[in-house]
Amino acid sequence: MRLLRSVLTVSAVAFAMTAGVHAYAAGEKEDSIRAPMPPGFQIVPSELEGPVYADAQGRTLYKWPQTNLRNGDAGEVQGKPACEDKVQRVNAGLMSPYPGGLEMPEVDTRPSCTTVWPPVFAAADAKPVGKWTILDRPDGRKQWAYDNWALYTSVLDKKPGDTLGGSVMMYDMGEIGVQRHPLVAEPNVPSQFAVRTTMLGRLLVLQDHWSVYTHDGDSRNKSNCFDACLDGWSPVLAADYARPIGEWTSFERAPGVRQWAFRGKPVYRHLSDPKIDSLDGSDIPRWHNVYTQRTPEPPKGFTIKETLVGLVLGDSQGKTVYRYLCTDDALDQLACDHPGAPQVYRFTVCGGGDPELCVKVFPYVIAPAGAKSGNTLWGTMYINPKTGKAATAETPGALNVWTFRARPVYTFAGYNGYGDETPSDMKAMAWGEFNGQRNGYRAIVYRDMYSTRDQ
Amino acid sequence: MKKAMLTKQALIAALGVVGLGATSANADAPSAAIRNRSIGYVMTGVHWATYATEKATECPDGFNDGPREQYSALFPKDGKQRTVAETELTREAAVWFPDTGPEPSTAKEFKFKEPVGTVAPGLNLDGKVGPNDYTSPDGEKGIDNQFNRVYGCVSDMRPGGSLYFLWNKYLTRYFYPHTVIEITNVDDLVNDDDVTVTFYRGLDAVLADAGGTEFLPYATQRVDERWGKLFKRPAHGKIVNGVLTSDPGEINRPYIFGFEDRTFYRFRDGRVKLNLTPESAKGVIAGYLDVKSWYRAINGALGTHSLSYGQESSPSLYRALFRLADAYPDANGKNTAISAVEEVTFKQVYVQHDEPKTASDVRKSSQANAR
Repeated sequence: MRLLRSVLTVSAVAFAMTAGVHAYAAGEKEDSIRAPMPPGFQIVPSELEGPVYADAQGRTLYKWPQTNLRNGDAGEVQGKPACEDKVQRVNAGLMSPYPGGLEMPEVDTRPSCTTVWPPVFAAADAKPVGKWTILDRPDGRKQWAYDNWALYTSVLDKKPGDTLGGSVMMYDMGEIGVQRHPLVAEPNVPSQFAVRTTMLGRLLVLQDHWSVYTHDGDSRNKSNCFDACLDGWSPVLAADYARPIGEWTSFERAPGVRQWAFRGKPVYRHLSDPKIDSLDGSDIPRWHNVYTQRTPEPPKGFTIKETLVGLVLGDSQGKTVYRYLCTDDALDQLACDHPGAPQVYRFTVCGGGDPELCVKVFPYVIAPAGAKSGNTLWGTMYINPKTGKAATAETPGALNVWTFRARPVYTFAGYNGYGDETPSDMKAMAWGEFNGQRNGYRAIVYRDMYSTRDQ
Repeated sequence: MKKAMLTKQALIAALGVVGLGATSANADAPSAAIRNRSIGYVMTGVHWATYATEKATECPDGFNDGPREQYSALFPKDGKQRTVAETELTREAAVWFPDTGPEPSTAKEFKFKEPVGTVAPGLNLDGKVGPNDYTSPDGEKGIDNQFNRVYGCVSDMRPGGSLYFLWNKYLTRYFYPHTVIEITNVDDLVNDDDVTVTFYRGLDAVLADAGGTEFLPYATQRVDERWGKLFKRPAHGKIVNGVLTSDPGEINRPYIFGFEDRTFYRFRDGRVKLNLTPESAKGVIAGYLDVKSWYRAINGALGTHSLSYGQESSPSLYRALFRLADAYPDANGKNTAISAVEEVTFKQVYVQHDEPKTASDVRKSSQANAR
């Protein structure tokens, strides 16, 4: 077998994913603020997004903030639910350069917005509580809202903690269409701090998104980092009046100078971080990024590889692993990125409309029989490769494939010289419309060295 | 070994003039810029070199039509109900699975317009004067720049075009495409017949003035020895009368357009020709642009939406690129690379190779930039 020097084995995946991360207790979850909630609502932990608000059945709640697209807006403004029962039969033309008024794929079976995104209805006698309000829908019914954002659940979510309807990570992309956002419970952190969802975990940052770090040489609620140790680092200071919050404490690192500590570890800022959400400080020995919780690792057999953009996920052969993203261009901006959606979009960019070519150009990542991931983010499913739809083990020709967020993942065999030529190759991180965000494939990036959104 | 070396001091003595050509009026400046027989430059400006007059006389039939115009020609507003699949997705399929067959329509929007004329910037890559070669604006014959025939009448690539402006802007706006060249084994920026020219990707911001528009020399620039291995390419070079040229070889150029898809394009037989001063370099990167890597880069980085602003129809350009490709035939004899030129400018930098191992190293690197 060809030696792939730039590919790390599965055991090294674990190392790569934990390298630079303070060794918190396994399974530590993020703490959130416990604000009053109306009866029937709760906070449930999710593996990727952190703690999320859910209904009584544990179904994650989502909001749909209006977003400006190239040719107009879609989504909702606060106080005005817009997801309706009407089936959108034509596209809206919001995605340049194609016009509106075109009939949507599989229009006769296209669901309405509320079929895919059931509103969280409020009982007639429901009462607002804190940020939880009640809105009047156009159809006359009452709907729960949070901070005046109308709330919905997703038919894709099957169990508590699922956030398959949308991800915080995805709506950071500029061209992905108008996404639904899981309603993440406010992290229980001092006001100087924030938490960002990343593939490695929920990253602790300052409010302006500069990363914070811990140092191995420190003790519990005690900094041993002074003088030369601080060369290039700055302790994150706490005001005199700062009080402990959740897992946060402050301590006096010098007379009159207080510093924050998270789970007993003093936190610092790396002065030379080139961009926000940086992991660069973890390259320096004994310094580590801080996560409120870690994202489950990919299943055994996957690898991490170094590429021209950073660390990306690879399969067991070291080939870059891609996920497929798709949002349609109707007013209700329904997802077309999962096997239950029309596959014509995906077949366009993976096979020029030819399903057989599609499977050759972007083959599924096959899962071994009986494979289990050990977490809910990663899984397996049977796929009919001819249709791209979900299948069963008994379906002729069905493939058992790995999934991420209940969507298959792929490698890129290429077409006519456009593929990743060698397993260690990665010609580019995306393929498809709008940089693979609107209808295309994107590499699963674990460490992005050159993300543009932060510069 | 160097066969002849005319030192800066000897040149000054011979000419009796200070500040002539590459010899600086500041006799200390060259030695200050060259350290340990090395000097570095970071790219601060880039444009594809096409021949464009103010009145576009080279495009007598006008500029090429792009995605919007072609869409309208294929799917006119005639009251017919069309579908997403037969319109948008069909056009996108043509982008991602292009072919060199006939255009889908004989409408005028699909007639490809090449520039007329015999003048274009560039280099004589093959050392010959052929029937398809241009003459440079300076009168040099045998110029290889078939890229000009493809893009010469595409508004995007002409001065004033959106891509003409934005690619140049994004070169320094984002970290990914920072390009550094380091000249090593150099003793004299005026004449030195044995130097090494190495391309790197840079890791640091490009130093600019307070207005952010003028780039400045004497900054430190770390080079990417880890993630950017694809872009590191050494080549033998020489400096003659202040002009650096390098031997042909593969040059990979990082490409981005701000939409998160980072990619690259590849020059085969790529080489540089740069006028050097202690503080800057200016000239061209030229070679045979691998068509597929270029096509992949521009569609990955921009997409139909952005290309439509500059009237770039990818399926039509794919056909033109392969029709006019002039090098590197495949097994079927079809050329796969096209002669092309980038006009580039650089500012001098102090290249730092060693990745910082400690916070102190990082701090020192940052302080060096503040000098």
